[in-house]
Parts: sequence; structure tokens; C-alpha cells
Amino acid sequence: MDFDTYELDPRVYDEMLLPDGAPREHCRPLVEALRRMSSEELSGVQERATRSFSHEGISFTVYGEAEAQERIIPIDCLPRLLSGADWKLIEAGLTQRLNALNLFLEDIYNEARIVADGVIPTDLIRGCPQFRIDMRGFSPPHGVWVAICGTDIVRTNDGFLVLEDNLRVPSGVSYMIANRKVIKAGLRRIYRAARVREVEHYGRLLQATLRELAPAGRSDPCIALLTPGVYNAAFYEHMFLAGEIGAELVEGRDLVVNDGVVYMRTTAGLRRVDVIYRRIDDDFLDPLVFRPDSLLGVPGLLHACRRGNVSVVNAPGTGVADDKSVYAYVPDMIRYYLSEDPILANVETHLCRRPEGLEYTLDNLERLVVKRVGGSGGYGMLVGPHATPAERAAYADEVRANPADFIAQPTLALSRSPCLIEGRFEPRHVDLRPFVLRGRQTRMVPGAFCRVALRRGSLVVNSSQGGGGKDLWVLND
Amino acid sequence: MLVRSAQGLYWMSRYLERARRLCRLLQLQTESLVDRPAREIHFGWSRIYASVNRNPPAGRIELLGSDDYTLADSYTLAGDLTFERSNPDSVWSCFDQGRENARQIRQSISTPMWTQLNLAYLRLQALEMPDIWAISPESFYADTVAQIDTFVGVAAATMYRGEGWRFMQLGRFIERAQLLAAVLVAQLTAEQEVEEASDADWTGLLRLCHAVEVYNRRFSVAVQPRQVLDLLVTDPRLPDSLGRSIDRAGEEIEAIGPGPDPDSSGALQRLAGRIGGVVHYQWPDHDDCHALLDQVRTHCYELHDRVATAYFDYAIEDAPAN
Repeated sequence: MDFDTYELDPRVYDEMLLPDGAPREHCRPLVEALRRMSSEELSGVQERATRSFSHEGISFTVYGEAEAQERIIPIDCLPRLLSGADWKLIEAGLTQRLNALNLFLEDIYNEARIVADGVIPTDLIRGCPQFRIDMRGFSPPHGVWVAICGTDIVRTNDGFLVLEDNLRVPSGVSYMIANRKVIKAGLRRIYRAARVREVEHYGRLLQATLRELAPAGRSDPCIALLTPGVYNAAFYEHMFLAGEIGAELVEGRDLVVNDGVVYMRTTAGLRRVDVIYRRIDDDFLDPLVFRPDSLLGVPGLLHACRRGNVSVVNAPGTGVADDKSVYAYVPDMIRYYLSEDPILANVETHLCRRPEGLEYTLDNLERLVVKRVGGSGGYGMLVGPHATPAERAAYADEVRANPADFIAQPTLALSRSPCLIEGRFEPRHVDLRPFVLRGRQTRMVPGAFCRVALRRGSLVVNSSQGGGGKDLWVLND
Repeated sequence: MLVRSAQGLYWMSRYLERARRLCRLLQLQTESLVDRPAREIHFGWSRIYASVNRNPPAGRIELLGSDDYTLADSYTLAGDLTFERSNPDSVWSCFDQGRENARQIRQSISTPMWTQLNLAYLRLQALEMPDIWAISPESFYADTVAQIDTFVGVAAATMYRGEGWRFMQLGRFIERAQLLAAVLVAQLTAEQEVEEASDADWTGLLRLCHAVEVYNRRFSVAVQPRQVLDLLVTDPRLPDSLGRSIDRAGEEIEAIGPGPDPDSSGALQRLAGRIGGVVHYQWPDHDDCHALLDQVRTHCYELHDRVATAYFDYAIEDAPAN
């Protein structure tokens, strides 16, 4: 197959080809190998990959207006390649960022120096629904509030930008591994020749991280993965990861707290649990402290966590640091806590809570992406250039009514990567979500869940909104 | 192991065994529709309904002389036992429950087990009564049995022999013992109520348990009811026999070991021993088979309750923490 009709736009960075159509240096062998393959061969790889997902039930759940639907995340069979140098930059940037974010969380739940020093406004923290007053005075083992972080990164002609930090219960790592498994099987020879760095040992790194975060004195900790259950969108991932790290997959009803210690109900009696990798949001974690109507959580869990008898990972209250308004201050945090310049830049962000930010947003709506501060999954946002005037006007009214709930960012020219669409190579926008683990040290596998907006021209990569996945190959230079 | 996982495996296994036994009964019954007299078909349906402890849709099964009625009735009865969603013991419901239990504890079973169960479930989802009746209902039931047997084989080949495996076996053998006791009681009851059962009714029981060949070899081709019962109740080498199921359940309880509360674990082990005693020591010298089988069936229900108390529903206050 050739790239003769492949469309290149100098304003948009292409992950595989240079603006003149020549392959980027690190992509040259892949492009040559693809040229030697027929459209049928590649479509076969694509079909086999999709079928394998369907048989193994590698799915996620979409909650629409009607009932929940099980869906397979569509996979594109052309890998996205990252050079070793690019990866080194991302690795250093994310490590730096997560260090600063952990110091920030430790600080605001204790001395709050950063607020006292006027770097971040008090009302921004206090007004954030994810700031958990019950966590004040708490300090997790090794000061690690966020042990598992999935950061969304995009590339433009100006380089990499951090789009958002996911510090609560980031998901997608199982798709990174599943994508690798099927693409590796489909492109055997190309894969071998490319000398791609491995990602399949993620489970080992995660287990090592969780063990390091066990309460003091628990040298052989019992780890459990807490899931909301089989109806959760990411249940497949919960099950997969529990298997990978050798943890019991538990639901709230399997756990009891007795005298400040967490136990799980086994057939031989109660067994003490030391580390809980929770995949339940704060709100549902403990009905005694957070939402009293939650049936998913464990009464007394927060008390046990605060007493240091169990490590809850990520710690409750981390959501304050990935709030979309607080995000704007991460570069300041890096300078404040680490006295370093940020390695990875933020996307320019206008806070509508500030009068000048609101004015700018309303004046430039047709050029901006406007997001809800507490939103996620690509829901409830406005992509200005793609919206109708009526949609923009309606959205402007909502922003005016509650300015503090919104932020605005420029519409980015997200980089594009070739995809196999109806037997042809076509460019589609992509991002990447690498996963950073933090125990006593930082660990990363060289890879990421690469999301792709499969709809032509779309910038929305979320799986719930028509996005798909790609395998991402980090190469040795 | 986690209580919820153990429970899930136990119930998954029980539901699949229940579906299997019912399919076997229906396979033999639908085969009989081809060439057996109306009386025998009627006897067969009565025995099935009595063994699953359910009333037929019309309240009772009429013995009518006409073949047309017999066949029309059979379609309704088979539908009630196969695809009826509101019947918790229908093949469809048992599969649904079995798979739902498996789905919730998917991390405790191997991927090949899950895939096999899922494919069998999807096949059943796509079928309806007219589909299976139009061609050959007996082959539908035979295929369903084969799919469950494949699942059991895949499990045997791929599953780690830990506590989860034990709970799966325990569920299977308790269910198997309970169901066979119920079928045998139903046979004796139907025989008393209707009229003298024919040889074919007794041979049907042997076929149900894959015991025809061994019976012919051990005894004779002429069928003696007491010999049939002896074989199905006591033979330790017959996979479906009552005695073997009870012994296997006892072995699994032994292997799992005591639950958190020593009293309830002790009671469970004693009960398993007592049922074994009935089958192995009381049965040979006893004339009232009906009464003994009733006793075994009641003990099986009790055995389930004691398993639940010992391992699943224990009071948290009584449980030692470790």
C-alpha cells in the first residue's frame, strides 16, 4: 500500500510523515514495510485484531440514554511510533510533574504553604468539590498520594503538551497491553525488526509499587483491587489487572472494617487487607464519610486509612489536583516545589472564574474548546469551531450562569497518525496516555494507551465518543 | 479464598449441572416422542416434573389417547422446561444463572473456561422453541449437554486445583446427588401413582446415567428394578451414581477443611458422613427404597445449608481474624 493519496497539512504535525511526504527517520522501516503489504493483508490484520477482542470480551460499557451497552474499543492496526528521544522527554516530564503533584497534595492537606504564599488562591482549593476536608492532616506512606497516574498528552507543531492529569482512577492501561498483544501477533515480522520496547511487564511494576506503599510493618502485604462490580464500564480492566498483580478482586460488600482494620471475608474467616487499589471514586468509597447512599463502598474505610492500617491507592482526595482549574497551576507548582522549569508544557488555559478569563472565553468562543471543570470522558464540552452558532450561544449562557465551572483552551491542532480506513491510509487525530507509577521510586513502562479520533476531522478521542485505540511503539534510538 | 468467589464458583457449577441433568432428561424424553406409546410419554413427563418439583403449565398432565394431543402437550411442556424465562429451573434460566455467576467471578476461572461458557450461552440466546422443534429437539439437548461437558473438560484441563476448584466440584456433586435422588424418588412415586412402570421406564433411568452397558454386563438384559436402583445408588465407579456423588462431595469438604466456625464445620462433616452411611451401609439391607431415597434427598438439601453456614454466611463476630 502506498501513501500517494495520503493527505498532509503543514499546520498539523503528522506522526509518521514529514510535510514533504518522506517518512520521519524513526518511521522509515515501518513505512517501507507497509508499502510492501497489500490492502487485503492489512485489512486481515485489522479484522483478526477486532475479532480477538470480541471473543475475549475486551470491552467497555457505554451509558447512553437507554440502557448500558457493551462495546469493543475499535482498534486501528497501524501502530504509532515514538522515537527514543521523544519518550525520554515524556518520561522526564511526567516524572517531574507527578513529583510536584504529590508534593502539592501533601502540602494542601497539611500546611498549605502554597496557598499561604499566594501561589494558588484559597478559594480555588476550597471551592473544589474534590477537595476532601476529611483528609486534612493525613500523610500517606512515603508522601505518595498519587501512585497511579494516567496523563493525557497531545502533540502539536510546537511539541508535546499535557492535556490533563488523571489522578483519581485512570483507566486504559489494559487496552495498552491488549492492543500490543493483537498488533504484535498481526505484524509479527515488522514488530520484530522494529525492536519495540516492551510494555507487558506493567503488572509487575504495579505490584512492586503497591507493595512499597503498604503500611509500615506489613512486610508481606495482602493487596486487593476494589471494583464497583461487573456493571462498571471498566470491569474488564479491573479483572485483568487483579490477575496481573495477583490481587483479590473485591467489591465493597467483601470488605469489613473492624476496630480500624480492614478485612476481607474469606471461606476460612476474615483476612486482613493491607493495600487497596481502589477503582471506585472518592464519593462512593465510604458511606460514613462521603455519599451516605453509596452501596459500593466500605463503611469505616476512611477511618482505617487515616489510622494508617490500610493504604488506599490512590489516596482519597487526589481529585483536587486534577481539577481542570487547578491544572492551570501545575507549572507554578513545579517551580514552587521543585525549583525547576516544567519539562512538559501545559495547554494555555483560561479560567472563567477570573473576569478576564470569562471575557476572553465569551469573546473567542468560536476558536476555543470549553470544558466543565468537573467533567470527564469528553462529555459536556464545547468544541467551538465545530459547533453551530446556536450551540455556542446556548453554551455561552451556561458559562455566564456559572463561570467558575468552566475553563477554555485554544482548539489544538492535535497531531495525526495514519489509520487504515476502508482500505486506504487516512490521517486521524491522536493523543497518548502513558501511565506513571510512584512508590518509593517512579516506574513507567515505555508505552501508552494511544487514543485516536476515528471520525474524520474529529478531535474527540474518548472511547465513549467514537474514539478508538492504536498500539504505540516506543523505539530504541 | 474470597467468600464471594467461592460462592460464585459453587453456584456456577450447580446451575450448569442442573442444566445438564435437565437436558439429559429432555433428550431421552424427546427421543421417546418418536416411537413410544402415549402412556410411556406421559409417564416420562410426570417423572420429569416430579423430579424438578414443578407443576406443569396446565396444572396437571392429562393422559389422552390421541397421539396429536400427546405431541402438542409435549411441545408446551418442553418449552416450559427449556426456554421459559419465568421458570427458574428451565435450561435457559440455569444457563443464565450459571453464566452470570461466572461473569461476576471471571478472574477466578481460566480464560478458556470463560470463552467456552460464553459461546454456549450465546448459542442458547439465539435459539427459540420452534427452532429446536422443527428439526430435532433431541439433538439440541444432546448438543447442549456436550457443550456443558466440554466446559467441564476445559475446566479440568486448565483450572488451578485450589480452593476454587474444590468449591466448583462440591457444588457439582451436591447438585448431582440431589437431582438423582429426586429423579429416583419421582420414578418410584410415579410408579405407585400411575401403574406398573414398564421396562422402558427403568431402562430410561439407566440411559440417563450412562449405565446401560455396565448394567447389561453386570446383570442381564432383562431389567430388574431393584438391580437398577442398586447400580444407580451404590456403584462407586459410575460417574453419576448417588454413592459416588456423595463420596466426592465428602472428599471436597474434607479437602477444603474447616471454615471459620469449628462447630458448623464439624456439623457439616458429620452430615456428609451420615449420608454416605445411608447409601453404603443401610441401603443394601433395606427394603423400603423410597423412604431411604427420600431421606437422602432431604439430607442433600441440609448439606447445602450446612455448606453455606460453614463457609459463606458465617457471622462476622464469630470469625477469627488473621
